[in-house]
Amino acid sequence: MARPEPGRRDVTRGAAAGEFVVRDGDRIERLYAVASGDVTWVFHDGAVYEIAFDADSAGRRRTARAHGALTAPMPATVVAVKVGPGDAVRAGDTLIVLEAMKMELPVRAPGDGTVRAVHCRPGDLVQPDASLIDLE
Amino acid sequence: MDIKRLLVANRGEIALRIIRACGELGIETVAVYSDADVDARHVRAADIALRLGPAPAIDSYLNIPAVIDAARSAGADAVHPGYGFLSERAAFADACVQAGLIFVGPPADAIERMGSKIGARALMEKTGVPVVPGSTPRDQSDEGIAAAATAIGFPVLIKASAGGGGKGMRAAADARTLADAIPAARREAQSAFGDGTLYVERLIARPRHVEIQVFADAHGSAVHLFERECSVQRRHQKIVEESPSPALTPSLRDRMGRAAVTAATSAGYRNAGTIEFLLDGSGDRASFYFLEMNTRLQVEHPVTEMVTGTDLVRAQLMVASGQALPWRQEDLAQRGHAIECRVYAEDPAAGFLPQAGPLALYREPSGPGIRIDSGVEEGTAVPVQYDPMLAKLIASADTRDAAIARAAAALRRFPILGVRTNIPFLIKVLEHPAFRAGDLHTGFVDAHLADLLSVDAPPDIVTSVARAARTAPPAGTGSAARAEDYDPWSRLNGWGR
Repeated sequence: MARPEPGRRDVTRGAAAGEFVVRDGDRIERLYAVASGDVTWVFHDGAVYEIAFDADSAGRRRTARAHGALTAPMPATVVAVKVGPGDAVRAGDTLIVLEAMKMELPVRAPGDGTVRAVHCRPGDLVQPDASLIDLE
Repeated sequence: MDIKRLLVANRGEIALRIIRACGELGIETVAVYSDADVDARHVRAADIALRLGPAPAIDSYLNIPAVIDAARSAGADAVHPGYGFLSERAAFADACVQAGLIFVGPPADAIERMGSKIGARALMEKTGVPVVPGSTPRDQSDEGIAAAATAIGFPVLIKASAGGGGKGMRAAADARTLADAIPAARREAQSAFGDGTLYVERLIARPRHVEIQVFADAHGSAVHLFERECSVQRRHQKIVEESPSPALTPSLRDRMGRAAVTAATSAGYRNAGTIEFLLDGSGDRASFYFLEMNTRLQVEHPVTEMVTGTDLVRAQLMVASGQALPWRQEDLAQRGHAIECRVYAEDPAAGFLPQAGPLALYREPSGPGIRIDSGVEEGTAVPVQYDPMLAKLIASADTRDAAIARAAAALRRFPILGVRTNIPFLIKVLEHPAFRAGDLHTGFVDAHLADLLSVDAPPDIVTSVARAARTAPPAGTGSAARAEDYDPWSRLNGWGR
């Protein structure tokens, strides 16, 4: 691992798993990265980035779900379903209330629309990415 | 009365904290665990470990008969409840005593007295400790709660009469928002505490949350160990705590300290407790109001330990075994400054949504003035069933500025990957000009949310490393040997790392 030419960046693995040492001329930085599923997680100076596996350009966050199906963000229990098929909803309305880790998590409408179908009932245990409600 | 073997009725970092203190006193420890925690650190740290039941807390860490049975079968003579779970259940303290076990905490009747917001408040009014206007409506229907809110005057806070920790708490700015707030608060209160009784109080605009650590023994002595400023909260739960508070003057600190000792004494309190106050204003002319008493050890107790040079858990064990308090009031002083940052598995950008899953990479920082109290390690799967706090990072230094800088620098050396955490958010809090200026109030996070959530696009170096991590061996097999496979030159020289 010789000193790279200025402007050329050398990335090598550090001694510990997941540790990376980047040398750019005389500058040295240490980062941590782990590939997990379809994203690579990178820690750099207190910031965490989730880099999409199949793209070189990267986003910090998963792109927000637009309209269509609203899904459970994590394993949770449904405590309330506030709308039914055919109901008109406004952006920000609470549609479903989930509970996980002793906290209530409102699932809100991402935009104005109409409820097409509801796929859960109070008391249901829902898994991540399970479809809860369809909006149109 | 000496404690020889103590059961820790908790999990995570606080269980480890208690096990450590017991080790120093030569007390054997008994860990208990649910099916979600079979491989947890606290289980391996104890001398004896017993299964309580299935993963849901109600079947394990909240199951009083199961905990008492475990204590009996392990031959324990004492129980430490930690915080959360059964720590503020008078019935649990009572069950311990009935079973001949020392309960490391206050007497059941003191928990009962201070656990009810109504009872505690009435007691404070009687003893002359100031309280915030509010009531528990006799009529607990939606209409009854709404009428009480209107009588007290908006904005109001609706909270669980039986609870703490922000669970079951909702603010309502006016009668319209009340309609959603009442049933939500009631459901949360019911599911978190098994009691949906609601309490309504006036919401003080921009208050600080400043609490006083108190400690009393069985021999009539009671002291306070000064304040903790806990104004930085999200979802009404603390995330950054510090001592001293930038808002207190010596005379205000003295008044609050004495009020807290009066409060504890009037409750017949024993062992460690915390009197929470809302502070309106700052300096000598500020007003403070009794909020509630936490009849247990607090999450943020290390902040007090660092500035007073005490060991609160050790003192709890001594007092519980009948010894006198290890300090007189005049022995106690604040020295320097300490700040605690709570590291949570949560996504601040998604409304602080709790996160679960395996910690693919987890490396704690260390160094002078850095203390980490944690309950996890690399590979731990953060379970969905419990509070998602991973660790507490406590930085201490001679001044507030130095403690802030130390905490922020340590967080920049605290990589956690595989599960989203609030570390980037905590760094933004510590570096925010309003935080640096000590300009704090309980609405701090909401008031500055946009600043605190701002993220920059990944620098080039991050994409370079992501690319390298993809072409390298898969995660989890990246031992030093595998790293050599990837880069044959690294085995020839060890420098540059």
